[in-house]
Amino acid sequence: MREGAGSNSVLVSLMLVLLVSWLGLDAVSVAANRIVPGEGIGLGGVAGWPGILLSVAPMLGVLWLAWRPSPGRLRVALLLVMAMLAALPVWLVVAAALTVDPALPQSRLSIGPAVWLALFMLLLSRIELRGRIRVPRWQGALLDLLPLLSLGLCLLTALEPLALRQEYLAREPAFIAAIGEHLLLVSVAVLVSLSLGVGLAMAMRRWPSAQRFGFTLLNFLQTIPSLALFGLLLAPLAWLSNRFEWIDALGVSGIGWAPALLALVAYSLLPMVRNTYVALEEVDPGVIDAARGMGMSRAQIFRQVRLPLGLPVLLEGIRITTVQAIGLTAVAALIGAGGLGRFIFQGLGQAAMDLVLLGALPILIMALLADALLGALTERLRPGGLR
Amino acid sequence: MIELMQVSKRFGDALAVDDVSLNIARGELCVLIGTSGCGKSTTLRMINRLIEHSAGEIHLEGQPVREFREEVLRRRIGYAIQSTGLFPHWTVARNIGLVPGLLKWPRARIRERVEELMALLGLEVAEFADKYPSQLSGGQAQRVGVARALAADPDILLMDEPFGALDPITRESLQDELIRLQARLNKTIVFVTHDMDEALRLADRLVVMNQGRIIQQGHPLELLRRPADGFVESLLGGEDRGLKEAALLPVSQRMVALDDAPPDEQQVAQHATLREALSIMLWRHTERLTVVDEAGRPVGQLYLAQLVGINGEASGRGHDRHHRAAG
Amino acid sequence: MNHTASTATRSSPCANGSAARRWLAPLAWLLLLTYACWGMPWLEPLFRLVEPDSRDVIYARADFFLLLGRHMLVVGVAALLAIGIGVAAAIAVTRPAGRDFLPMVSQLASMGQTFPPVAVLALAVPVLGFGTLPVIVALLLYGLLPIVRNTLAGLEGIDGGVAEAARGMGMTGGQRLLRVELPLAAPIILAGIRTSVTINIATAAIGSTVGASNLGDPIISGIVNGNIAYVLQGALLIGLLALSVDSLFARLQPASPQ
Repeated sequence: MREGAGSNSVLVSLMLVLLVSWLGLDAVSVAANRIVPGEGIGLGGVAGWPGILLSVAPMLGVLWLAWRPSPGRLRVALLLVMAMLAALPVWLVVAAALTVDPALPQSRLSIGPAVWLALFMLLLSRIELRGRIRVPRWQGALLDLLPLLSLGLCLLTALEPLALRQEYLAREPAFIAAIGEHLLLVSVAVLVSLSLGVGLAMAMRRWPSAQRFGFTLLNFLQTIPSLALFGLLLAPLAWLSNRFEWIDALGVSGIGWAPALLALVAYSLLPMVRNTYVALEEVDPGVIDAARGMGMSRAQIFRQVRLPLGLPVLLEGIRITTVQAIGLTAVAALIGAGGLGRFIFQGLGQAAMDLVLLGALPILIMALLADALLGALTERLRPGGLR
Repeated sequence: MIELMQVSKRFGDALAVDDVSLNIARGELCVLIGTSGCGKSTTLRMINRLIEHSAGEIHLEGQPVREFREEVLRRRIGYAIQSTGLFPHWTVARNIGLVPGLLKWPRARIRERVEELMALLGLEVAEFADKYPSQLSGGQAQRVGVARALAADPDILLMDEPFGALDPITRESLQDELIRLQARLNKTIVFVTHDMDEALRLADRLVVMNQGRIIQQGHPLELLRRPADGFVESLLGGEDRGLKEAALLPVSQRMVALDDAPPDEQQVAQHATLREALSIMLWRHTERLTVVDEAGRPVGQLYLAQLVGINGEASGRGHDRHHRAAG
Repeated sequence: MNHTASTATRSSPCANGSAARRWLAPLAWLLLLTYACWGMPWLEPLFRLVEPDSRDVIYARADFFLLLGRHMLVVGVAALLAIGIGVAAAIAVTRPAGRDFLPMVSQLASMGQTFPPVAVLALAVPVLGFGTLPVIVALLLYGLLPIVRNTLAGLEGIDGGVAEAARGMGMTGGQRLLRVELPLAAPIILAGIRTSVTINIATAAIGSTVGASNLGDPIISGIVNGNIAYVLQGALLIGLLALSVDSLFARLQPASPQ
């Protein structure tokens, strides 16, 4: 850390990019209805000079604080950054009020690149600042809650013209069903691959000759692009369901959840098996030697040493698998497996970008949440001495 | 106590241990020494059956080790290794209580035993009991390792280069500790090392191994005075042997009674080694030291001539040389 | 890239003996790919089995070679850019001047991999519109992450003693980078490039839903028209392409368990 050695160049650069894009790019775009393309409006066009001055002031503030950083100043900068994040939804409310004609109920507001980039730059600033200064846990959580609260409040009360919200309202039941399908597919795939993966890893430990072959096969599966694997599974499953009535009665067919689930499990196996294998195999040999030398039985060594030491690695495998499956399930929508991917591909088909967002944003959030939650769980279950 | 009879170990085509016979008596501290790959660790690990011997017999108190259940055998034998093998996810106290736990001692007794051992090895209970191995220094971790090996009060202790990874000062203090413990607990210890100074310091009996065979065994002084061959001689430090021997002998063995001459200002403690005495003489440019007891009272004198054995004092080392030369 | 590849090969202990055999796999896959592109019409009776009722069973809207070429072009351009930018960025933030950026960049690179590639592709469209360009940009952005991450891991993972010795011998910063750090990090960097390209071949196929014509076309068209034969042809070719490229990388990389 180079505090006192000069300015925090990271924060300075982030703020400069933020300033330039904020002033130079379109803040929002407004369309008269869903069909016509929107018209981009810059910051000045939305709010004039008062808007420019008001919004640029905190950015300049952070810039100034980062120029001569000290822990105290960086703390203030973090507060400013989080406040700006919280202000972004409010800014959309203001922009909606100023640019959308309330007499036209069909008109809609889309979020412009300036806002997206600002969101990105501010999140990066948050990462940078949280890495540089120590913030008590509850304070950090409180600060993170601020933008989320602001977003929630704005969405609930005042953002009717936001196109994203309109797309959501137009298909609320379908959206909720899609989230359910997505989660169901992901969790079934993860659970199946977990039980299969642990079994396979144990088998590989017992029969080392199978290990090479097993990993080669799983690597092979992992290499095949998702769309191709989904496609390749269509034919045999369609054939099976045509051939055997009971399979058809189960709901298995070429199109739908069955090939999706199969492909998802196939992809999930490699990370699962690899991490389970590593978890079981890579405990310090000195520790195992001592455990044996003290007279622990195989079962005792497994239960008391290998398992607790390997659990974090195993959970890491579950984390990787889950995040990967959330993304792949989106692709599975192409073969009719449902889930949030449907909105993405529908939106792409209709050139309705806000519908694409309605599918993509929840997937992104889901992936980030799964990553964070499973990461936190891993940390919690990590035995004391390994933290 | 421990008896190895014509024991061999084969790994594939390689003969790691070749026809080794060794009889270790109760209360003995037996050090196996040799270069790396000489089979000393394999020999040690065959005793608690971490490695099964291919030929010969190993007996523990007259009973072949193969007749024990592996786990039962190992729980009776303490085991300490260079990497400590402490469980990283367990606290110090839980690590030490491992074997008593395996033997299903009641909780209270385990706790009592753990605290007793921590005190014995100079580990403050309040400070260390709840620490994890990653929070310990190398010396502290090794103390915990030794405490863990001693936990179920085994009669036998196997130690595989336990102090090998430590800095010289820590190593020496742990060696002192082991000597002190051994004087108090009187365990039968088999100790593997490649460090000759360590071996000479600790051993009641020194077993030199090379290429899977025992080259020579006996009391350290015996080996110093009569190395069986050039290998043992070089292992013992060649021309350095004089100092190594002096380090094993106490001043009291060569001192003479106080004479009428006024006590010398330069003093040496009665229990110091001859090596230390020689060093003081060299440093102070003197040929005579006053020997004092613990309270600092003069009890005798040490002359350089006697120290080096010119006046035919003790040793008999010179004779042996002649014998060997004549033979 | 040539440089890293040759180093990786040299450091492989078993490169000499089975060199010919190790070239065999990529060569075989490539041959199979070419043959499949060229000979697909001859397989008509086979596809007829799957799709007895359809009029056409061989995808004919574009030549398979053309689709393959476009697919490789998109992936190749994105990969080259990603390698150039990613390695340079990772080098920059591990030099003294750029070290301030290291924590942020490494956290971004590891967090970014949480983003599903489809989501990145979908999000590129609102910003950049339909066509080949947004696909290339999305592939570039997503492909950067494993490369940056692995290059950082490779450079940071170099044994401190080696770096110290290189400095002690009087090597300049540039010499250390070119002769010590990059060669030592090469296998890990190469592994990152491999991951990046593998993901991008898959993501590019999905790119045909946003207007970039490539080997994903037959699959999408097959799904839309309910023609499983088309789907199979596209899937077969993409699978073969992925396996060819992956086995090429496997050849370049020193043998490792994973």
